[in-house]
Amino acid sequence: MTRDIYALEIPRENLSASAGHHPAIVLISSVIYALAATASTNAYSLLTASLLPVSLVKRVKLSALAKLNLVNAVMILTLALTWPTPAGRGLYPEVKAGLIMGVIISLRVNMIYIAFSAMVYPLGIGGMYEALCFMRVPENLRVMMIMTLRGINILRERYESAIISVRLRAPNIRGVMRLKIFAAMMGNVLLQSLERSENMMKAVKCRGGFSGFMQCGTHAVKFGDVVYVMCFAFYGIIIAVMNYA
Amino acid sequence: MHISEGILSGGVLALGWAGTVAGVSYGLKKTNPDRIIQTALISSAFFLASLVNIRIGPSSTHMTLLAPMGLILGHAVFPAVFTALLLQALLFGFGGILVLGVNTFVMASASLAVYVIFGRAIRESSGRTRVIVLSFMAGAFAVIIAAVIAGMFLIMTDSDFAGAVKILLIAHIPVAIVEGAVTSFLVIWLKRSVPEFLS
Repeated sequence: MTRDIYALEIPRENLSASAGHHPAIVLISSVIYALAATASTNAYSLLTASLLPVSLVKRVKLSALAKLNLVNAVMILTLALTWPTPAGRGLYPEVKAGLIMGVIISLRVNMIYIAFSAMVYPLGIGGMYEALCFMRVPENLRVMMIMTLRGINILRERYESAIISVRLRAPNIRGVMRLKIFAAMMGNVLLQSLERSENMMKAVKCRGGFSGFMQCGTHAVKFGDVVYVMCFAFYGIIIAVMNYA
Repeated sequence: MHISEGILSGGVLALGWAGTVAGVSYGLKKTNPDRIIQTALISSAFFLASLVNIRIGPSSTHMTLLAPMGLILGHAVFPAVFTALLLQALLFGFGGILVLGVNTFVMASASLAVYVIFGRAIRESSGRTRVIVLSFMAGAFAVIIAAVIAGMFLIMTDSDFAGAVKILLIAHIPVAIVEGAVTSFLVIWLKRSVPEFLS
């Protein structure tokens, strides 16, 4: 388990659909699934690929799924009106090809979103850090990820107070002035982030620099993890076979 | 600006990841380890700023702030955008993991292009009007370039996306104008208050 200074550890039992498995294995497995789902173009492969998301959909927020499908609806409409056919562009019957393409893409978007939402996103930052460690991602990048997260928490308060003061002082500003105030607000937060980062860097240096700043997890890949990823590989192969059969 | 999961083909996704890995490696190599925290905090400031909803007329928009990111972070923009988009996917479910390589490449390469093309000119300009014009061009250019690169990825997946790409480009014109205005205001503010930020 990672031993970091911001207590980003997550208990294994919270890993939801991937409980107990190494985060890197979960990430790799879901990427295998997503790749297979992305390549699905016919009804058989889409149906096969939909088995996993159907079993996981209970773990996903329906409001998020609804927002996603709102965007999908715009995409379907755009493709329906722009997809070329031998007869040219335009409305019905040419609209049919674009409509079908849009629906296929929407199905894929939903399937992959559900799979990632139920499997990868619950890993959180701690799990993702461990997965990146496993994949030998450079320490500088991992530190940057953790520090960015820390910065988001620190600077969020600054933005919130800046937005409140703008609302109180000038509630009815319009047009270009609104953009000007946004730019000044951002400039202030950037300045504060510069000062804060200098102090943080001094603190890190006082503690011996980045070396071993955050240690990688000690979890080894177990036999169960290998079986898990193999199952996903097999599932991916079945989806691909259904697609090309 | 985000391309969703499930749209791009495997080959195009691989191409995006290859470009992102190269860009991130180059960015990390060029970034002084002492500036890692600074880069991370500036990246968080941009991340949060991009979540602020600005009401313009009957509609509202979120800024991408690609040009200011490029002008301030320079070569470090690739790792900064990568971490920001990864966190965005993990915290809010925006974008995605599989398409992270393509989305990073789209945004970071536009920012880097702004840094390479406009960075020096903006730093060395002293006249207010000249800085405003250059920054406006940089802000608008970043959005258009990002949309063009995103469109190229879509067309590489399937040339039949060409019609949708045209609509994508047209839809980004007003965004480019707003981004250009915000970039010029921000650059003017930075040049007056903290000029070392742009160096």
